[in-house]
Amino acid sequence: MKKNLSLVILVLLLAAVPFLVQGSYIVSLLLLMLVYVILTTGLNLVTGFCGQFSFAQGAFFGIGAYTAGIMSRDLHTGFWVHLPAGMIITGLCGLLLGIPALRLKGHFLAIVTIAFQTIVYLGLVQWTSFTGGQNGLPVEPVGDVSLFGAHLFTIDGLRANYWLILTATVVLVVIAERLVKSRLGREWVAVRDDEVLASAIGLNATRAKLTAFVASAAFAGAAGVLMAHYMGNIAPDDYTIWISCTIVAMMIIGGKGSFYGPILGVALLTLLPEMLGDWARYRMLFFGVLLVLAIALMPEGIAGRVRKLRATKEAQA
Amino acid sequence: MDLLLQYLANGIVNGSNYVLVAVGLTLVFGILGVVNFAHGEFYMLGAYTGLILVINYGLPIWAALAGVLVVAVILGLGAEGLLNKMLKERDATSSIIASFGLAVVLQNSALIGFGPSPMLMQTKYSTIGVEMGPVYLPLQQLLIPVAMVALISVLYLVLRYTWTGRSLRAMAQHAVVARMCGVRVQRVAVITFIVSALLAGIAGFLMSSVYMVYPIIGNMIVLKAFTVVILGGMGNVAGAAAAGLLLGIVESLTSAYLGNGLRDIVGFVIVIAVLLLRPQGLFGRTFQRS
Repeated sequence: MKKNLSLVILVLLLAAVPFLVQGSYIVSLLLLMLVYVILTTGLNLVTGFCGQFSFAQGAFFGIGAYTAGIMSRDLHTGFWVHLPAGMIITGLCGLLLGIPALRLKGHFLAIVTIAFQTIVYLGLVQWTSFTGGQNGLPVEPVGDVSLFGAHLFTIDGLRANYWLILTATVVLVVIAERLVKSRLGREWVAVRDDEVLASAIGLNATRAKLTAFVASAAFAGAAGVLMAHYMGNIAPDDYTIWISCTIVAMMIIGGKGSFYGPILGVALLTLLPEMLGDWARYRMLFFGVLLVLAIALMPEGIAGRVRKLRATKEAQA
Repeated sequence: MDLLLQYLANGIVNGSNYVLVAVGLTLVFGILGVVNFAHGEFYMLGAYTGLILVINYGLPIWAALAGVLVVAVILGLGAEGLLNKMLKERDATSSIIASFGLAVVLQNSALIGFGPSPMLMQTKYSTIGVEMGPVYLPLQQLLIPVAMVALISVLYLVLRYTWTGRSLRAMAQHAVVARMCGVRVQRVAVITFIVSALLAGIAGFLMSSVYMVYPIIGNMIVLKAFTVVILGGMGNVAGAAAAGLLLGIVESLTSAYLGNGLRDIVGFVIVIAVLLLRPQGLFGRTFQRS
């Protein structure tokens, strides 16, 4: 209960940030972090809880964004259609990627997901007539929101988008938490810990893996749609293998398989490079060094390290 | 028919490049189990070292090549310390993430050091053409398959007939047993990384006269090299050589007959199909992985 209360306070604080700070820098940085929270939480479902490595989260992010872009160009639909459509389409693509995952493990699975990621990226670049190629596609802002004909508010600009994405993040994180604690989530964990044993006691490992892939992809799809409507323009270079690797890195550094670890990882890898100030030119360089150091010194991630420290303290007491 | 031969020749030039890059990658993977994403940066830095030495310092080609070799050895040593020594006994993703971090560092250093604008190596060999029947290739491009055949043959002989080569192969087969038989594991790891960086650096140097050089050229080349490694069977040098040439030729024919847009995608599609139908690779043998 105490934990829940502190989380509610954290969310309220985040919601109040646009009133508390001047300028748009901090709000836009927080917005980016929230999008990464959705992406890493999604990846954590399939990798952290179901034990299947995936380097394709960036591709699903892109598929979500391009669903919004292509639907608004060809069908003139709006955000409220794109969000479920994007989640369903990326979910289906997740199912597609999940099928090879049934047969492969470790390095091989990682490389198939890398190949999938690269195919999606190259498709976005090369299939110019459908995706707009390197020029990308424009996406309309979310715009007016009305309920039963009554106009409620307009979502346009940084602040409104920030609150929209904050709401979506909270909803999705809660969904993920419920999923992990549900029967399905426990099946994922069972498959992760020992697939043979899980099958032996009658769990359907195939179903568990496929659902984990679908859920993880759908999260990335939601993030893609949200980001596309905020940015107003989408281009393939935002959905490369490097984005996927960044997401994996955030999850690993935070601590995979723990619920709040990956969120810490997002905060660490987005905030630290921003603190360089005059050294901003070296931001990406610093990011790379940080990544290598974190992997070398803290293989179990922040959350894993905390868990370990707590365990030794209890053992001593 | 004549055009087909020209396409094949172009495919072999590109394919030879893939072979040089992929063989190093497959060695590191097969012998040490490290997935090295920074391998493309060895290629990129090899290309830049050669370019800078030739263009800015006016050195002759052989001196530039020596410079490339020195840089590659340093890179190989550094990468071994970081990706193998420090990350031993970790799961598959650790080396992927750490090498990704290393790639980001090297790429951005190159961006800061050399700037984003593409460069091309022009030497006196660029303008000399060689005609073989209906096929025309500039002499510089012809050098690439020649160098590939020479280097891979030397590597093959070393692996086959020297003690160093035997210990490398022993490590690839079973690291623990190799160690019990007296193979110096650490030395093997260092040699493997150095050989891998040397091959990639030389490939980058040779290709710097064919394609533009810029800080992110390593990205696509490393991904393609991975497809070659899988097609050839992980850790299989001869398989990687065959698969690299095959990929080069398939790409060249795809871009000629099916459309240039499909050129880069075709390899990745083949990889997914192969992993689904024949996970041990086109030229790999099945064996139990522990």
